Amino acid sequence: MKFRNRTTVSMIRLNMTPMISIAFLLIICFMYTFDVTEPEGDFEPNMPLVAAGATAVTDAGLPPLKVRLVADDGGELSALQFNGENLGNGEQAFARLNSEVFLAISTQHAIGPDQQKDLEVEIEPDYNLQYRFIVNAIGACSGRLGPNGVPVRYLSKIKFAPRRDQ
Amino acid sequence: MKFRSTRVSQSELDMTPMISVLFQLILLFMIINWFKQSEADERRTLPRDQLASPALVHRKHSVQLNFGYRRDPDGTILDQQPSFFFGNEQVTLDQVRPRLRMQAQYYETIGTDLDDVTVEIRADAEIPGGMVQELIQMCQEPEIAFQRFALKATEMPAGL
Repeated sequence: MKFRNRTTVSMIRLNMTPMISIAFLLIICFMYTFDVTEPEGDFEPNMPLVAAGATAVTDAGLPPLKVRLVADDGGELSALQFNGENLGNGEQAFARLNSEVFLAISTQHAIGPDQQKDLEVEIEPDYNLQYRFIVNAIGACSGRLGPNGVPVRYLSKIKFAPRRDQ
Repeated sequence: MKFRSTRVSQSELDMTPMISVLFQLILLFMIINWFKQSEADERRTLPRDQLASPALVHRKHSVQLNFGYRRDPDGTILDQQPSFFFGNEQVTLDQVRPRLRMQAQYYETIGTDLDDVTVEIRADAEIPGGMVQELIQMCQEPEIAFQRFALKATEMPAGL
């Protein structure tokens, strides 16, 4: 009986060059889409010119909501006040400020919906207060994050009171 | 007489690696350009806030001011006097007025309304807030007269 030798293995040479090239391309693509820096955003408050002794009413004839930030000697926040009411300090104070601003605009909306958009916040920080607290106060007055992460805007008219001396 | 057949060997050039390398070069140049365009100065530690959101519309005209402390790579403050950083050059708050004036004059020269120019303030989280107020007031002075401001902050994920 005759057997044919059928067990000759044909060597297929696979060209790896295109595969490696595409792998490099993918790596570079992922590098390009990867965010190296932390995502940055900003606040764009409406900042009217503020002079010492400026009128204490807004365009709508309403007194501005007053936020006072008191600093200790090290520039840390020692007290946060809203319309003269002390809200404490730390993270909870900003949460309370957020609630107070919401309450104020809700009340204003009930009285006069047209005037609500003209409502202003006046922020008065101590000179040596660290800038981050001012940004947090602006954030707390601007709105809050909704349950699905979408921001709910309260106010856009935010201005600084005349600068306090050092 | 015997003639040899003049068979021309058809050598095929594999273009795949060449095209791949070309794509890689294009991508590399794109990345380099992307880094160059970013004017952000990563030496500043920006304040963090949940509501800081990127501008919805691209600002056509903006003046970016990096204001903060000179820090070492670990973040330790080396100089207690905050400065403005223009590339490798540093100027103090008292010295920045002529630069702001120059910027305002530039926009006036090219016929851009200063109301359309946004001053983007990238200030360090720890600098005295009064200095930022001083800067804004300086920008609003009649001979400079910038009106729009954006206070930069790092987006903080909810719950942090």
